[in-house]
Amino acid sequence: MAPVRTVAAGRAAMAPPLPEVGEVGEVGRRAPVRGQRQSALLRLRGEISPALRLALAGAGVISLLGLWQLMATVWASEGFAVPTIGATVAALQELWRSGDLSADLSASSQRIAIGYAASFAIGAAIGVAVGSFRSVEAFVEPQLGFLRYIPATALTPLLLIWLGIDEAPKVALILLGTVFYNALMVGDVVRSVPGPLINAAYTLGAGRWTVLRRVVLPHSWPGMLDVARINLAAAWLMLVVAELLAANDGLAFRIIRAQRFRRIDRMFALLLVFGLIGAASDLFLRWMRNRTSPWSRP
Amino acid sequence: MDAQPDLAVVEAMNTTGLVVRNLVKTYRIGRRGTVTALDGIDLDVPNGSLVSIVGVSGCGKSTLLAIAGGLETATSGTVEIDGARIVGPGPDRGMVFQSYSLYPWKTVRENVAFGLECAGWPRAERDDRVAELLGVTGLSSFASLLPRELSGGMRQRVAIARALAPGPDVLLLDEPFGALDAQTKRAMQEFLLSVWHRTATTILLVTHDVEEAVYLSQRVYVLAARPGRVRSAIDLPFGRDRGPLVRRDPRFLDLRDEIEDLLTTPALAEEVAS
Ligand SMILES: Nc1ncnc2c1ncn2[C@@H]1O[C@H](COP(=O)(O)OP(=O)(O)OP(=O)(O)O)[C@@H](O)[C@H]1O
Ligand SMILES: [Mg+2]
Repeated sequence: MAPVRTVAAGRAAMAPPLPEVGEVGEVGRRAPVRGQRQSALLRLRGEISPALRLALAGAGVISLLGLWQLMATVWASEGFAVPTIGATVAALQELWRSGDLSADLSASSQRIAIGYAASFAIGAAIGVAVGSFRSVEAFVEPQLGFLRYIPATALTPLLLIWLGIDEAPKVALILLGTVFYNALMVGDVVRSVPGPLINAAYTLGAGRWTVLRRVVLPHSWPGMLDVARINLAAAWLMLVVAELLAANDGLAFRIIRAQRFRRIDRMFALLLVFGLIGAASDLFLRWMRNRTSPWSRP
Repeated sequence: MDAQPDLAVVEAMNTTGLVVRNLVKTYRIGRRGTVTALDGIDLDVPNGSLVSIVGVSGCGKSTLLAIAGGLETATSGTVEIDGARIVGPGPDRGMVFQSYSLYPWKTVRENVAFGLECAGWPRAERDDRVAELLGVTGLSSFASLLPRELSGGMRQRVAIARALAPGPDVLLLDEPFGALDAQTKRAMQEFLLSVWHRTATTILLVTHDVEEAVYLSQRVYVLAARPGRVRSAIDLPFGRDRGPLVRRDPRFLDLRDEIEDLLTTPALAEEVAS
């Protein structure tokens, strides 16, 4: 006890005294702070809680629906007809019961599945080669740079002449419209594998094939899934172009049919389906990325 | 006091080891520009010795190690081990890199096992070897964690364990303890010495820390920067079985100060004076 008191006395003799721990400032005055306090919501890259994240996402969806409903009830006029949410859902049920919707869904998703799977397989193979070998990169880069700028949609007439009007031109359009992007973007992903990871494998006795299989591919995998996810949107774009021009079934074909009968409610129902499929596949690929590569989760 | 023969004598007796002769490395930068990272380096690392390289940042230490590891090609000059010229990487030379090079998707255990898998070790032996190394590096209880769940010093220890696992003839270490706190660094230095004692591995160590170089090595090469040249080679009189007490040896302190001086006084001033 005694030495403590001595210290306190010693300190008291000095000026100015240090405040005791827990001592509060003058009553009525805010305790001074340093630094600029930032709200969690508005901070750049600040973390928000999962609950808040969910709430904001829900608010986002509801506000979009609200805007839609507002357009349908307030702004809609004779020449600018917007179906209400209720009318759209009713049209969706009607399409489903008639069996058209499921037929169209399966036709369209089959085209996407075949065309985009081929595009991703080819694109990823080219991308891995481009990202791994400077020689391949030098050879392929100018070709990709040129071909990528030819709008794939401009090829539709040609594809119809070459491949007829069946499934082939539709699948080909999806393939051609996305494969160059897949190749370039996978190439970037593979190129960004850190050099020391590759070098370390070599010094541990790995051959080139082992390095590719056990280092380059595992490191690139989450990035490749992201590429697949991003370019999937372009695949749907190509699908719609193909079905608008020549088709007897499919979601976009159904929209054209609805136009002929001025069934704007049906058109909205089909647009809703497009959006839902896109959102679902996006969520699925994200989930798969986090599931297969938990180490890369941000 | 020490029965250890002088390094120069060892060299005269046997010419084996890692030998660098007139090594030049020029990097092309931009269209026309070049940087001479290494300009005529001569280096001898006799088999079973521990040799350090110190030098200011940018003097070409990492470049030298990368060439010895077979990861970079020299512009001219050679690196040989026991008379065989190095033309590419191989598991006979383990490397620990300056930047983290652990596989982020592999656990600590899987990282350490990677080299053994490449060499085709049978499962049981591999597990034993990994367990042994994790024990020595004090990582046993972290074996199932991912690198991103480790501290910087722990990651560096995993990298060292991984490089040691396949039992390389030569270890090339690029500032392996640079990111460690003083206590862990001391422990790792003792660990490196014990590995060196037990395995007779030849070790080439790059470091910023002069005291570390003097404490660990039999010889210290001091590099000068821009262009990278060997400024001086200093053989140390302490035996292999040195203990922490050697740090208080007056000769130790003198050598440390001498090397510090070599590092801090610019080479240019010396040339002008002479
Ligand atoms: N890939 C490269 N391309 C161009 N220049 C390079 C390259 N790698 C290294 N250099 C140059 O070579 C010189 C030596 O670099 P190096 O990394 O070997 O230095 P260091 O001694 O390891 O430095 P530090 O102690 O900071 O790690 C530097 O001037 C650097 O700019
Ligand atoms: Mg370096």
